[in-house]
Amino acid sequence: MPNRRPALNPLTTLAAAVAAAVMTTAASSWAVSLAVASAAAVLAVRAGVGARLAPAAAVILAPFWLSLLIMHGLFFPEGRTVLAQWGAARVTTEGLGFALDMGTRTAAYVMVFLLFSFTVRLPDLVAVMSARRVPPQFGYVLASTLTLAPAVTVRLARIRQAQESRGLVLRGGPLRRLAAARQQMVPLVLALIQDAGDRAQALDSRGFNASRERTSYREVPDTAAQRTFRAVALAAAAAAVGLRISGHWPEGLWMVGLWPDAPSPVALLAVALLARGVPA
Amino acid sequence: MSQQSQTLPAPGPASVRGRRLLELLGAVSIAATFIFLVLTQPADITNGLASGSTLVALGGFLLGAILLIIGVLPTLPTSTLVLIPVALVLNIALGQIMGSTGLPFYFDAIGTVLIAVLAGPAAGAATGALSSIVWSFINPTVLPFAAGAALIGFLAGLAARCGLFRRFYLAPVAGFVTGILAGVVSAPIAAFVFGGTAGAGTGAIVSAFRAMGDTLLAAITKQALISDPMDKAIVFAVVAMLVYALPRRTALQFAFVRRFNVLAGKTQETPGD
Repeated sequence: MPNRRPALNPLTTLAAAVAAAVMTTAASSWAVSLAVASAAAVLAVRAGVGARLAPAAAVILAPFWLSLLIMHGLFFPEGRTVLAQWGAARVTTEGLGFALDMGTRTAAYVMVFLLFSFTVRLPDLVAVMSARRVPPQFGYVLASTLTLAPAVTVRLARIRQAQESRGLVLRGGPLRRLAAARQQMVPLVLALIQDAGDRAQALDSRGFNASRERTSYREVPDTAAQRTFRAVALAAAAAAVGLRISGHWPEGLWMVGLWPDAPSPVALLAVALLARGVPA
Repeated sequence: MSQQSQTLPAPGPASVRGRRLLELLGAVSIAATFIFLVLTQPADITNGLASGSTLVALGGFLLGAILLIIGVLPTLPTSTLVLIPVALVLNIALGQIMGSTGLPFYFDAIGTVLIAVLAGPAAGAATGALSSIVWSFINPTVLPFAAGAALIGFLAGLAARCGLFRRFYLAPVAGFVTGILAGVVSAPIAAFVFGGTAGAGTGAIVSAFRAMGDTLLAAITKQALISDPMDKAIVFAVVAMLVYALPRRTALQFAFVRRFNVLAGKTQETPGD
């Protein structure tokens, strides 16, 4: 893979993702959410993960949006401005607005975090975390799960083939299907627990549970500028939370038309930096 | 105890106390967040987007889940720890198998409950919280539900410890009760963070309650009380089936199973206790 510029430290992109998500939530305006979601989409395309990210986001967001639209578009008892009415169902401006707010906010949240997880280098993230005194067990669980998942899918397919060659039928009534599910689940669970036992012995014999400081083969680059950015991003996120919870959020700026809300340029900047972590 | 490595120093009492404190703080954080949300919701939801509540819900529940993980993880023996990735993958893979049966349930907690039954409440809670965090790398919307998943793992472990998995018919009952509590804890997250539920089916149930004039939190809580207890009762029954299908050698290698006689008819061999 050609590496045009050095990847950012995973903590920097994580801080950027968290700051962007927190500030978008605090800003709580559909325009800001939409801007952040679109920025994340553009950056994903530029980072070359757009083709993977789009279906992943669609699978999450499409049913969610549909559900919001039915839920709040048709039934919103707090709504005052009725646009249309069929029996108990009332389409109200307030309900549609609420669905739009929630839908775009969740879209921004999902896009920003998917951009982070699709661009981060997992070994770097694990190395950085164990250097930061995060329990090494956390890094193990994270890395192990994400590498185990495809292997289990393959294994499950093999178990199904083996059982089908012995006469397993996947069609039929609910009881037959349950029996078929059981015939696949039991061998899978048994094999996985057996493997886990083997791994435990291997890890134990290499001092995995030692509580001492450990050294790492992997050096993850970090710079003073990135450290400063992380501090600023997290401070801005904390300030946004403080303003929102204390009730001093500058809504007025929004009403006057000074686009956008004060902290949202920071959110956009955070998203921009998030994508720089990508080896393009 | 041949499992213990002999070269490693045992953790001192101070670090044990520190971890207990972390676990306690985590539980308090989750409980306090929930109480705050339930007390403040009527004023918030009519103001449209409850942004302050959203931030409190996200912050409090996530902080609690992370404290629980930091407190519990280092105390787990390696044999339990290596099961956690397995549990999470099972949550996904068994969900897919169940999905292929065409039954209207989601079963995303089978692995968590399995670990809780084999390794106890603390391991179950950590597995639930970790599952949500790791799974959020693929689907970020599960992240805010980490506290609910931790509660499911904790309650499943508690049920196993009290012997509810010794009788096959008691396991679904324990699952039903767990589902009620987990549903009530997860409902504020669905309401304040996402403003609704993800599925079209659950959305229809929420809509029905909303049409009767319920607040959003009340409607989602009622929907959770319909879906979750049924789902968890089935999950607990599936786990009971799986645990009894394990060879006794495998099940008895877990100290928790031996110590609390979790499984019926597997009590004879208790070496070393």
